[in-house]
Amino acid sequence: MQLLRIDWNVLFTIINLLILYFGLRKFLIKPVTNVMEQRRQMIEGQMADAKKTTEQANELKSQYEDALKQAHDESAHIVEKARKTAQAEYESRVNAADQEAEKIIANAHKTIDLEREKTVQDLQTQIAGLAMMAAGKVLGKADAAEQNKLMYEQFLAKTGGCNDTDSK
Amino acid sequence: MAQLNCDTAFTIPLFGGIPVAESVVVTWIIMAVLLIAAAILGRNLKVENVGKKQLVLETIVGGLYNFFYDLLGEEGKQYIPYLMTVGVYIGFANMIGLFGFKSPTKDVGVTGALALMSIILIEAAGVRKKGTKGFLKSFAEPIPIMLPMNILEVFIRPLSLCMRLFGNILGAFVIMELIKIVVPIFVPAVLSLYFDLFDGFIQAYVFVFLTSLFIKESIE
Repeated sequence: MQLLRIDWNVLFTIINLLILYFGLRKFLIKPVTNVMEQRRQMIEGQMADAKKTTEQANELKSQYEDALKQAHDESAHIVEKARKTAQAEYESRVNAADQEAEKIIANAHKTIDLEREKTVQDLQTQIAGLAMMAAGKVLGKADAAEQNKLMYEQFLAKTGGCNDTDSK
Repeated sequence: MAQLNCDTAFTIPLFGGIPVAESVVVTWIIMAVLLIAAAILGRNLKVENVGKKQLVLETIVGGLYNFFYDLLGEEGKQYIPYLMTVGVYIGFANMIGLFGFKSPTKDVGVTGALALMSIILIEAAGVRKKGTKGFLKSFAEPIPIMLPMNILEVFIRPLSLCMRLFGNILGAFVIMELIKIVVPIFVPAVLSLYFDLFDGFIQAYVFVFLTSLFIKESIE
């Protein structure tokens, strides 16, 4: 009976184990771990890609948001400027129109004054003529010179009170 | 009693006859099965769109790999394939009693060879990590008085690995044979679940677990 047996078979077993080790490593363990490693790397690469893409997208988004905000500001600015310009234009136009109108009115006033003065002078001249004529007709037979003077003064006293601007 | 014998399967007619033990022949059978299975399963592996077969394979190989990786760490990962091989081999060798063969691990020559390779691997890992000088110095650690203990450990570790495996499998084998004599039907099948499957698995686990612990210790 050989319960404990240590002989050549230890060596055989060692050789067997080495063969089994190299065989399993070559055919099973290496391929499987390689595949798993490749998959891990692929997944990591994809994750990194996804992260990068997300970051890029976020950056672009913030850029666009900035640009949009800028455009908003710009447009508000432009509108504000246009409004100010329009306001200034409007005011200058109104002022110009006001001045024009004032000038026209002043001219008109002047013209009217001149007209009136002229009319008054005309009227005075005519009235004096008419008065002289009327007085001459009335006093034709009496003492002409004295009567004339009397009448003329009477007339002046009557009319001058309201028409004479010099009198006080 | 003939069952306990480690028979000689045949003799090579060289140098006056080299006896080849039954355990070696059974080991060849296990090797053939494992290598053929590996060659078939290891082909056509895909990174994407994996099939169910590859998924199962990856779960097993990846699980074993991670188990040893957790024990050994990044520095010891080059020893993982060997430990996986030994684990699978011992597992199959312990459970092959189910198919009517005698477990090769019942032969102290086989467990001795396994333990011998383990201690060579353990010490070689230490030499590789620390260099010859550092390796020799590590015998005087943590204090020089531990030197005899550390030298003894080099022999005790493989001996304990060898004898633990051998004793457990032989014990289970003996009990199973006795039960087969007492109750030939049904009961051996039930108890075989414990003695062949569970005990076989536990012993394979313990062997590779201790080996990787020792490797980890020597490369630290």
